[in-house]
Amino acid sequence: MISVRHLSKTYRNPDGSILQVLKDVNCDIDNGEVITVIGPSGTGKSTFLRALNLLDPPTGGEIIVDGENILAKGYPAHKLRRKMGMVFQQFNLFPHMTVLENISLAPVKLLGMSRADADAQSVELLRKVGLAEKADVYPDSLSGGQKQRVAIARCLAMKPDAILFDEPTSALDPSMTGEVTSVIRQLARESGITMIIVTHEMKFAREVSTRIFFMNQGVIWEDGTPEQIFDHPVHSATKVFVQQMQKLIFDIDSQDFDFFGMSSSMGAFCVKYSIPEKREAIFQITDLMTSVLLKEHYPLHVVLSYSGLTGETALAFMMEGYTESPLQGVDVDRAALERVKEMGSQFIEEPTVKGFRIKIII
Amino acid sequence: MRKILLTALAALAISCAGDKTPTKEIRSEEDLAGLRISTLTGSCYDMELSERDDITLVRFNTETDIINSVAIGAVDACVYDEVVFNADVRKQLGVKIAFHGKDEYPAGFGFRKEDIELRAECDAMLEEMKADGSLDSLCTVWLSDEGVDPSTLTPPLNNGTGEPLRITTGCSIAPISFMVGDTWYGLECELMYRLGQRLNRPVEYKYYDSASYMFSLFGGMSDILTGCLFITPEREETTAFSIPYYYFKPAYFVKDPEAKGSKTGIWTKIEESFRRSLIVEQRWKYITGGLWETVKITLLSILLGSILGCGICACARSRKRGLNKFAHLYNVIVTGIPMLVLLLIMFYVVLVNTGLGATAIAVIAFSIYFAAAAGEVFSNSLASVPHSQTEASLALGFTRPQTFFTVVLPQAVRYGLPFYKRQCIELLKATSIVGYLAIQDLTRAGDIIRSRTFDALLPLLIVTVIYFLLAWLIGLGLNLAAGKNRSL
Repeated sequence: MISVRHLSKTYRNPDGSILQVLKDVNCDIDNGEVITVIGPSGTGKSTFLRALNLLDPPTGGEIIVDGENILAKGYPAHKLRRKMGMVFQQFNLFPHMTVLENISLAPVKLLGMSRADADAQSVELLRKVGLAEKADVYPDSLSGGQKQRVAIARCLAMKPDAILFDEPTSALDPSMTGEVTSVIRQLARESGITMIIVTHEMKFAREVSTRIFFMNQGVIWEDGTPEQIFDHPVHSATKVFVQQMQKLIFDIDSQDFDFFGMSSSMGAFCVKYSIPEKREAIFQITDLMTSVLLKEHYPLHVVLSYSGLTGETALAFMMEGYTESPLQGVDVDRAALERVKEMGSQFIEEPTVKGFRIKIII
Repeated sequence: MRKILLTALAALAISCAGDKTPTKEIRSEEDLAGLRISTLTGSCYDMELSERDDITLVRFNTETDIINSVAIGAVDACVYDEVVFNADVRKQLGVKIAFHGKDEYPAGFGFRKEDIELRAECDAMLEEMKADGSLDSLCTVWLSDEGVDPSTLTPPLNNGTGEPLRITTGCSIAPISFMVGDTWYGLECELMYRLGQRLNRPVEYKYYDSASYMFSLFGGMSDILTGCLFITPEREETTAFSIPYYYFKPAYFVKDPEAKGSKTGIWTKIEESFRRSLIVEQRWKYITGGLWETVKITLLSILLGSILGCGICACARSRKRGLNKFAHLYNVIVTGIPMLVLLLIMFYVVLVNTGLGATAIAVIAFSIYFAAAAGEVFSNSLASVPHSQTEASLALGFTRPQTFFTVVLPQAVRYGLPFYKRQCIELLKATSIVGYLAIQDLTRAGDIIRSRTFDALLPLLIVTVIYFLLAWLIGLGLNLAAGKNRSL
């Protein structure tokens, strides 16, 4: 059982300015839970993880592990770490030892295991991660995925209560992430070890976890089951993140706006996210909306968005201060409106906090 | 080692500079114009010839090199005391006297100016010996052109019970003062032994390099300065001299074109060279003794210097800026001072009057020097181990000291060993300058043998091979030591 209260961490930059990485992190983690921590870069996910085993001691708040305040002065960090392993992004295997020695080292030196027992256990663990035949080679000769599996075995050799995974697949070639995530998934299913995983692999996070922390700006922004976080996120920031939303925003103030420039940017956006087939529709809808249907309604915000998760592409047109659709009037170009509706798969008109939005799903 | 190389290089450079043999016979000082003349560094001949700008002066630190440079044709002529390069030596090297110098030079013994009593005793002894003719007969015996037969030497009477009479000589050459085994013989030595008996003080001889031996008197390391020391007004300003015991005459030596190489075959020559350099008078004992000194100084300096280097490394890696600065400053200062200068400063200034022996002082100086190099190697090696290795070890539950010794250190050793090995070998070679402190190390052993045999090549070769083997052994030893340093 890990309880975190008002955890904060500030760094002092060399130039004297202060950077607050963790602001106010609170959570309770039960034994056997598998937690993934997701969120944009630079929001303190790794710092949070490294605070839990005191590699980066926090500057405020408290962490209670199994009833003990690990931030108390004089608390023996090495005792905590023997029960709470860590798997690093860069593997950090010891290059001067063979794979077997890497795994046996800690049990022999720290648990007082005999060399023979430790080696037998190491071979067993290597078998578990599928690398029994690599026992006597040096880490240099292994691929990234193999190194990370050895690192996991090294961690397991200490028989930990909990394991912290710090972006275990980020340094891997995409073709190798599978072998590592499979091992972690298997552990999550069978071992009963508490696991806290920082990751950018959304599919993996969804499958493996019992609970997900969405971290943003130094706090746990949203905390829930995979279904809650992925399918029914409460906060828009969570949604943007989990749906891997990409956005392109333009503010049109007058007729003098650079429409050609906007077209060019949208074309590049389509190429970048591999939706060139939607480029024509986007151009035509944008043209009809901005220069025919909504030309009287500047200033106009145009948002082109694409979700990496669902593949949904949308064009949104927002007008500040409106409470109802400007397309209901009698002088609206009906033919143009019909063409827009034909090209989109969905046509949504809705009021927002600031004004009114017309959204076309393409 | 450095000296050996310099000597060899100097000889090579000179011989390369131009191999013209003088067509004209040299009969007077005028004939020397345009020629290359070798002489002893800092000697009276050096000072006089320096005033002539029509000759090229080549200075050597030992008598052996002066005469050998003539014999191998590296210079056209050399100038030195006639009695030193006697008929025997000249025949052996194929050298002859071109002409005799006009002047005579009074030779005496040097004292500290405040040592009036000791000098008075010495003068009184010399006066008495002059009066009864024993000084003359002594000089005749020692300075005959046939040289001295070592088999006729009898061990000197040296059983004084008082305070030791410490004698410095800058000259290890027959018949002035030379070593056979551990004992010094020669004209000067016999006079000194007599003085010792007269004062009931046992005589202790030390052979310093001629370039620095004057310091030993002023530094209080010795009581009397000897070694073919000519009395000049300039020297009298700093040193008090006894009355002259002899007037030396210089001679100019040139290669003898009529001297034919002996008809013996090359193998016989090499065999003879070996016999003279190693077997006769058990001269191999100089080599083994010198080897022991060199090994002792090198190993102790590596040990002490490495311990000190750990301290420097700890300072360099410390979070305290003051300590960083100290480590940086230490490195800048120590690496900026030539090793020889550091050694002499330690011996004659910093550690003078501490009662430490020359070997101890050499070890201290070399440890200071080695600590800078070792400290740098250590901190670079530790820095080569990424911090992520420390983190991985800590995360497994190792404490910081455990992490250092199980994870960081073995990797640092693997990285730093070649650099450390190199520094150790550099140190070994650097110790070849301890002859300046009258320590008979390996290099000095070669010099002593050369001064007795006038055979330049073989002792150099032997010494070189031994240095090479030592360097190889150091590398091997370190590899073995590091090889044991396995992970578990």
